[in-house]
Order: sequence, then structure tokens, then C-alpha cells
Amino acid sequence: MAFLKQKKVAFKGDGIIIFQDVAQAIRAEKLMKRDGYEVRLIAPPPEYRVGCDLSLEIDLARLAGIEQLLKEKDATYVGIFPMMKGTAELCDIIKVTDFGQWTMVRAGNMKLAFDKNSGIIVNSSGGGCPDIPYLYAELVDKPLTEAPRPKDRGSTLCAVMLDRAFEVCLSLWQGSRK
Amino acid sequence: MLIVGTIPNKDVPLTIGPVRLEGEFLVVNGQRFARMPGTGAMISAALITTSYLELEPPHVLVIGDIGDIGEKGTRELYDYLIDKVSELLPGVLALHYCLPIMPLMKELCKAITQCSRRPFMIADAGALYAAKGAGLAQEFDLFTPDLTEMGFLADPEAAHPAYVARHLFDCEPQKVPELITVAYNNKDAAKLLLVKGKIDYIASDGKILAKIDKPDIPALEAIGGTGDTITGLVSALIYAGFKPHKAAIVAAKINRVAGKCAQTTPATKVKQIIDQFPLLFKEYLHQSDITPENNNTAT
Repeated sequence: MAFLKQKKVAFKGDGIIIFQDVAQAIRAEKLMKRDGYEVRLIAPPPEYRVGCDLSLEIDLARLAGIEQLLKEKDATYVGIFPMMKGTAELCDIIKVTDFGQWTMVRAGNMKLAFDKNSGIIVNSSGGGCPDIPYLYAELVDKPLTEAPRPKDRGSTLCAVMLDRAFEVCLSLWQGSRK
Repeated sequence: MLIVGTIPNKDVPLTIGPVRLEGEFLVVNGQRFARMPGTGAMISAALITTSYLELEPPHVLVIGDIGDIGEKGTRELYDYLIDKVSELLPGVLALHYCLPIMPLMKELCKAITQCSRRPFMIADAGALYAAKGAGLAQEFDLFTPDLTEMGFLADPEAAHPAYVARHLFDCEPQKVPELITVAYNNKDAAKLLLVKGKIDYIASDGKILAKIDKPDIPALEAIGGTGDTITGLVSALIYAGFKPHKAAIVAAKINRVAGKCAQTTPATKVKQIIDQFPLLFKEYLHQSDITPENNNTAT
């Protein structure tokens, strides 16, 4: 059995923060969300792409606070600009497959499977960036509640997508315990 | 044959040499790494194939890299290869897990043009992302995408599979031939495609050459590394002298049957699948498929 989860209504901003790499974008997103800013991970326009790239869509009305926060936290970025043409959204498809004793969640190009009885992660698959085999070693055979978040240990777009799968797995597992 | 990729251990320096199996580990020039998903699974599948066929083992070029963009793993790997590829002159060059850095892929493809003999070029994982993103798909002889990566090849705007348009990502296996046509029309496919999924498709120049859907083992999708093993198998078979499309068909079949023999569940580990391969080679690998004109066993 497989089903697709519904698409949420996403935040729409009018500005964009460009970063040198995905890890910088992941860190900035975490800092800004922690401080209550609405942000969205998106692809930078083509002129800023080298292969594995990520930027943040923001509300320019809150620019001063965002700049202050990133400065205080020593978060590095290339620049903050009005929204540009050619950006793209991260794939938001979540698909859940029931394998009886196991559940597999696919978020975009990444998949994570866990045991329904124990909550232990049994496999991860998909992706092509170097942190994916590393995250496999960090996650597999660990309980969902104790495993590190892929976004905290990984540094690439594949890790971002794996984190989305992880989030859904954790939610399904915790929901089944209630 | 030269297999190039990253290993998820930052302590592994740039290492090149023939690979061998030592217990549960792969060993190259004194460096040990596991037969786990990623380049390790791909190398392991290739090595087990060359061992059965009594060929020289694959040479591998690996480096520790866990994805830190600022770190030098992938960059050092490419820099070495760009500098040395015309001396190494591999018959088959299989590029695997690495950061998809388009400028480096462009430099590598430029360096390949300087080789006295062009290698048979294979890309999967991060190398496939970089090749397509850089508009260099047609420089390659074989891509081995999974279903979502096939959507990526069919989306001219996407620079990474994470950005593939929703309608392409959410594609049913039966619609893969449409994606293949689009990718070839956009010049975003290699000469031969082996699309790994619920149905494996082998295609060349936009035409479907074969479709393999039996045995159907749905749990294989959940197991990390089962795409890497197909890439390792097909690379080794092409190195051995199989015609590329024949190698792709045989690799896809062996992987599926190995999944069945291993009584696969989503909790099965990829090394359990790889361990089934030697039991199947006798049935699926025939000396008559190895043709001298296709022999790629130089290096």
C-alpha cells in the first residue's frame, strides 16, 4: 500500500538569501526558524548553481532582524536580494509504503524504512551525494527517537530530503504509540 | 576498469589501486572500507563479478568524504583524475558517489578528450547529477538512474533530483518510457540508459531495448545500495567484454533474482544481496556473451 501525503500551503516570500553551500543554508534555516522567522528552502537561480545548491526564501519586510540574527550567530552567506527569476522549489512529494512489519517513507529522492514494532531504522536508500552513505551508517539500526537528524549531520540536498523522510517516519512512529 | 567514488570515512586519503576482499571489508592499498551502500556496494558487486570471471580486479580511486562542501574530498578526487586520466587510460571509467560539482565534471570531460583512447564512460549517483547538470550527458556511454533520477534527467530545469518537477517525480513505472524519450530529446541522457526500479528499462537513443520486471521484489526499493550493486555488475560485465545493452539486461536480472534468493525484506542489508551473486553467475553469465571486439580489460 502506498499513499501520497497532501501538499501543505507553503510560505511565499519576496527575498532570497544566497549561500556558498548547502550546509550554510541548512544552518541559517535552523537559526531563523528558531527565532520565529518564516523561511523556505528553494533552489537559487541558475547563475548561482554549481550542482548541489540551496537558498532561503524570506520576507524582506523582516530584513533588518534577519541580518542582525545572522551576524550575531556568525552565519555566513553570499548575499540577500529581492526574489530573483529562475528559482525552483524543493520536491515536496512524500510517499508512504506499508511493507507489513515495516514502513518506508519516500521524500523526493530519498527513502527511509523503519520497523513498526521497534521503531528501529532498518534502511535508507536513494541519493548520490557523499553524506548519504555516511548518514546510512549514522542512522541504520538505531531507534528513530535516538538517531541523529540527517539535517544535523549531513550537508547536501540529499540530506535535506532524507531529513524530510525522517521527520515523517518519526511522526508515524510516535503517532502509532499513542 | 577504474571505479571512482567517495567513501564515508574522512580518514581515508586519496587512494588508488586494485581492490581485494578481506573478510567483510574491501581493501585498496592498505585502506579498508565496508561493503555498505554507496561506492562500497558498487565496488563490491564489481569485484565479485570480476573474481568469478577470473579477470584482473577493478582498480579503484577513492577518498574519504562525508559531504562537507568546504572539505576537499570530492575536489581532490577530481583534481587527481583530471590530471592523470590520460596516463591511467582505463578501458572502463565508472564514476559514482561524489559531490555533484559541475565545473569539475566539465574539466574531467575536457581531460578525457585528450586521452589517446576514450574510456567507456559510466556515471551513477553524484557523478550522474554533475554530468546532467553540466549538460554533458552525451559524453557518457551509460547512466544507471533510479526512477527519481530518471525524472531528473527528463526535467531540463532541474540541477539536482531534489528539484525535479512534481509531475515527473510522481511518475508511475509504466510511464518511464515517456521520461526516457524526453531525456533523449533534451540531450540529457547517456548513449545507453539502465533505469533501475520496479520495472528496469534499458534504452538507447530513445528506444526501449528491454524491460525487466521479474521477479518482482518490492522490498528491494527500501534497501540502500541495491542500485549501486546493479551499477557495479553492469560496469564489470562491460569491462569483461559483454555488449553494453546485454550487460545491462544481465545485471538487472541478477540483482532481482539475488533479491529473491536472499528472501529480501526492507530490513535486509545490501551485502546479503551481493553474497547471492556468485550463486547466480553460472546461470546468467555465459562465455559466449563475451566478445573480443568489446573487450575493455585494459586496466
